[in-house]
Amino acid sequence: MNSLDRILAIATNTVREAIRDRVLYTLLFFALALIGTGVLVSTLSYVESERILQDVGFAAIRVFAVAIAIFVGIGLVHREVDRRTIFTILSKPISRSEFLLGKYLGLLLTLWLQIAVMGIGFVAVSWLAGASIGSVHAAALGLVGAEVAVVVAIALLFSAFTSPMLASLFTAALWVIGHLSRDLRNLGAQSALESVKRATELLYRALPDLGAFDLTMHAARGIPIAVSDVALPVLYAAGYATLVLIAASWIFERRDFR
Amino acid sequence: MSDRDTVVSVEGLVKDYRSGFGLRAKRVLSGVSFSVREGEIFGFVGPNGAGKTTTLKVLMGLIRADAGRATVLGHDVRETEYRRQIGFLPEAPYFYDYLSGREFLRFYARVCGVSRSDRTRRVDTLLEWVGLAQAAEARLRTYSKGMLQRIGIAQALVHDPKVVFLDEPMSGLDPIGRKEIRDLIVRLQSEGKTVFMNTHILSDVEMLCHRVAIIVQGEVRYEGDPHAVLGDDERGAEIVLNGVSPAFWESLETRFESGVRGVGDRIEVLLPHKLVDDVIGEAFLAGAHVVSVTPRRATLEDLFLTTVEQGARR
Repeated sequence: MNSLDRILAIATNTVREAIRDRVLYTLLFFALALIGTGVLVSTLSYVESERILQDVGFAAIRVFAVAIAIFVGIGLVHREVDRRTIFTILSKPISRSEFLLGKYLGLLLTLWLQIAVMGIGFVAVSWLAGASIGSVHAAALGLVGAEVAVVVAIALLFSAFTSPMLASLFTAALWVIGHLSRDLRNLGAQSALESVKRATELLYRALPDLGAFDLTMHAARGIPIAVSDVALPVLYAAGYATLVLIAASWIFERRDFR
Repeated sequence: MSDRDTVVSVEGLVKDYRSGFGLRAKRVLSGVSFSVREGEIFGFVGPNGAGKTTTLKVLMGLIRADAGRATVLGHDVRETEYRRQIGFLPEAPYFYDYLSGREFLRFYARVCGVSRSDRTRRVDTLLEWVGLAQAAEARLRTYSKGMLQRIGIAQALVHDPKVVFLDEPMSGLDPIGRKEIRDLIVRLQSEGKTVFMNTHILSDVEMLCHRVAIIVQGEVRYEGDPHAVLGDDERGAEIVLNGVSPAFWESLETRFESGVRGVGDRIEVLLPHKLVDDVIGEAFLAGAHVVSVTPRRATLEDLFLTTVEQGARR
């Protein structure tokens, strides 16, 4: 119970920090503005204007959510070290893993709140444009939330041992690769060489499969989805993020704060 | 002193800082050893870069020592749970400036496991105690340096610890701020807490501390009473003479070199205590007049400088 309370204390404080930070409001404003511009973009086409509107909207939500996840996620630990607030925190009866987990949960909660706000903007714009909204849209938004859970964990892992600049680069690169990892496996599967097949399969297992979280096409085109299309990616996100956080904690526990 | 009285025990701490892919190592602690007794104010002093903050960070579990052992209240410093019994104020602290003073203390109280029912009472008491009750709702970014230092001490005490570690608590404060912090430290000790203080402000140490350890180049060179004067041989005196002849002046200069200064026939001589009687006798024979003889009290600064110089000669 005490451990949970300590983690929640750190998480609550992280949310409070984010809520009082004007930069995040600015980013949120731009995200909502971009969702709104979907209306303009959709008028450029005579066909499938609703699909274009929702494609732009989902892209805006995903890109801004991931950008905030990367850049705020990287700064989560680095800012604490740089400003030396970590000295006071870690001298308290809290383990480094609890601290890291609290920071993670705090940022994740903040991001989910932002995705919810962007989602409301998306629904409002779709409603004004007369585009249909259904449970698939909610599922697609939920999976953006699951995707950022993986991205924040990766950002924390890199920020546990390298500079913010490198950590941002590594995380952004892994996000891009994560969206291509299925293609990599498919490409390898077509190879005649068994070793290439095995290597690409291994890489696919190790790299995040972020393509699993993209239901944009289903939502924008109204293609029905099964429960497993949501449940499996959510379980995958939980498992992958847990493994990455364990690795981040292991590194963080061994770090000297000079 | 029995082991039961020992609150902080440090034995042979060694720490190397590595740079350049870990190939180059710089030794910052070379076998640091000392102990702190229950209920005392202990001063850990040394020149910049001597290893004071590194030692303190090892004690707080922020840095892992390469060798040696450090315990606080009998617990290995790498443990987490025992930290419920210690408080820490880092050097030039920066706190979450988006929080108000009250929010800040409530946050740390929660992290330290202070129960929800006790939290409000404890935070109110501490705000009153450090004189910040009026500024409790103001954000920390509006606090002065002295106020930040006081709220920092309050966070170190929020869980009512037995031992309090302060890293340069008076650094950068104006005389009023320093006095306020000094008063708080004395009050802490009077309430039965053990205070460990890292500092390089010797006058504060002389005023506050029961015992000190002087660290030089990563080694503790002195541990004991800061008010203890140097040995008899090193204790000195200052003699002021009038009507000194040039020949006697030259004789004194030959023997005491830089300890002799004066204008006209008036001279001041700094000399070892044991030679005072001889020089007074000589002055009488040389026709000089003894104006005053002042024993020179060895200060902590003397002790500090002597220790640092000895360390540098090694």
